[in-house]
Amino acid sequence: MDMILQKKSLAPWLERLEGYDIYAPVRQDDIWNYAHVTDGRDIDLGYPNTVQSPKPIIFPQCETILEFSASEDGTPVMREVIPEPNPFVVLGMRPCDARALTLYDKVFGGDIKDPYYWKRREKGILVGLACTVPPSPNCFCPTVDGSPCSTDGLDILLTDLEDRYYVESLTKKGENLLNDAKTLFKAPTAAENKAAARIKSESEKKINRQVRQLAEVPPKLAGMFDASLWDEEAMSCLRCGICTYLCPTCHCFDIADELSSSSPLKGRRIRNWDTCQFPDFTMHSSGHNPRPDKASRLRQRILHKFHYFVVNHEAYQCTGCGRCISLCPVGIDIIEVLDKVRDYA
Amino acid sequence: MPENPYLPKLSKIIEVKQEADGPRAIKTFRTQFVEDGFTHECGQCAMLSVLGKGECMISISSTPLEKEYLQFSILKMGRVTSAIHDMKPGDLLGLRGPYGNSFPLQQWKGKNLIFIGGGIGLAPIWSVLQTARRTRAQYGDITLLYGARTSADIVYKDELQELKKEMTVHLSVDQEEPGWEEFVGFVPVNLLDKKPSPGNAIAITCGPPIMIKFVIANLEALGFKDEQIYTTVENKMKCGIGKCGRCNIGLHYVCKDGPVYSWAELRRMPQEY
Repeated sequence: MDMILQKKSLAPWLERLEGYDIYAPVRQDDIWNYAHVTDGRDIDLGYPNTVQSPKPIIFPQCETILEFSASEDGTPVMREVIPEPNPFVVLGMRPCDARALTLYDKVFGGDIKDPYYWKRREKGILVGLACTVPPSPNCFCPTVDGSPCSTDGLDILLTDLEDRYYVESLTKKGENLLNDAKTLFKAPTAAENKAAARIKSESEKKINRQVRQLAEVPPKLAGMFDASLWDEEAMSCLRCGICTYLCPTCHCFDIADELSSSSPLKGRRIRNWDTCQFPDFTMHSSGHNPRPDKASRLRQRILHKFHYFVVNHEAYQCTGCGRCISLCPVGIDIIEVLDKVRDYA
Repeated sequence: MPENPYLPKLSKIIEVKQEADGPRAIKTFRTQFVEDGFTHECGQCAMLSVLGKGECMISISSTPLEKEYLQFSILKMGRVTSAIHDMKPGDLLGLRGPYGNSFPLQQWKGKNLIFIGGGIGLAPIWSVLQTARRTRAQYGDITLLYGARTSADIVYKDELQELKKEMTVHLSVDQEEPGWEEFVGFVPVNLLDKKPSPGNAIAITCGPPIMIKFVIANLEALGFKDEQIYTTVENKMKCGIGKCGRCNIGLHYVCKDGPVYSWAELRRMPQEY
């Protein structure tokens, strides 16, 4: 079902979404990030891209998984803390970030479901915003099977037609959200249909960066564990971990206990994002570390995304958002690394 | 909502035995579930936790045929294992699992079994050894080669004396010490000295990563084929269910796809463990 929404009707639409928490890009000085918004006028959908993807809305950087204390006789008592979020709408999601959630679904799903992830995931309605112009100079979504107008993972896709949005509802959830404010939407005209189709067909051509013949990379990586390339590429790495913390597809985490009182026992078990770029990530308590240097950790990042994940889940673990390139303090560029892998002799 | 995979169950410590003392202290804990039961297979691990300290993955060293308790032999190393070492009978340990694959004992019927352990590395293969012992008629000869840094670091001292009545046991220590009458030298060297026959045999080894590497090389030198060699590997783990992303060796998450591998499988994987 395709509809038209006037831009001036965006805030009134959001006001009608009673009972939903709304997350949307909000400008904070010179950067944009997702925030919980209560006033539709705070939303800025003219944003280049958010520094952080919306992943923390569904997979928070730090979350409590259980609380513990001691009963009067000292017996430990545990209480699981399962999130119970309100239904929520993420508005203006970039298609790459929505596709990233479909990759998370593979990780946090499978035989053993992660209850913390799914409790939030199932409450969310994802409203995407097609990238009519690339939001970053380092966008490369078509390389990794995406597109600036991809609908993967989305419930609704908005396409900017200057003073209005072309609105596609893609799922039952999306359709229900439009039905809640039916009067604000109208059916598109033939001209609007044509304009949306034209913008979509042109959007991919505006993307400047790509990895040529990426399909050659995964089989090649399988034989490159001992390649000298990793030493060269990791030389400048500061092991800050920003590439993984800002990656919408990186999912690795740590589990740790935090005490608020040791006697009587009181505290919580928390899950925090973690990164394969930190030495402690794999260090055994004996001090032995299977990934002892920057080269082995960069190799893990690339192999996980472009070899292991491809074999295990039949998808690249990368959606081409370009954040790891734009925000790496020393300019490590995953596109260049992949090019070098492809051409490695 | 199905069961929360991160929520431990409480298990009561019923027995604590000091195996080794000093800076590399080892204790063996036997626990019983407070709530419902728990079944495991040889080679599987459990995530133990001390509330307020954290969790750590420890292999289950008791045989699945033992229904009265679970056994864990733990080297005091970091925050969690130190906290476990402070626990006494009656204390409650958090426990979730079991995790991972297991040794394919069904395929080993009628074969000679050679166990090769180093240090605390005897614990992960102890469940196999005990299972083979309790179903003795199903296997051929059973041999154990086991070594530790010093005689004080040897685990299961009493049990090893008992085992000597039932099977061939070759012990070793790394360096000369007064009163030691068995082999002196590293475990892989003792292996070459004792020369177990590869005929109709399966070798099962666990120990420090460096020991495993040399044991495997020496088994190959003795004529063992890749398919005849099994080991169990360890990597740092947090979730136990293949989601936290840190224990992988190449394509495999050790917590769910391992920890048990034949050398035929492991040698084709990146040597990152």
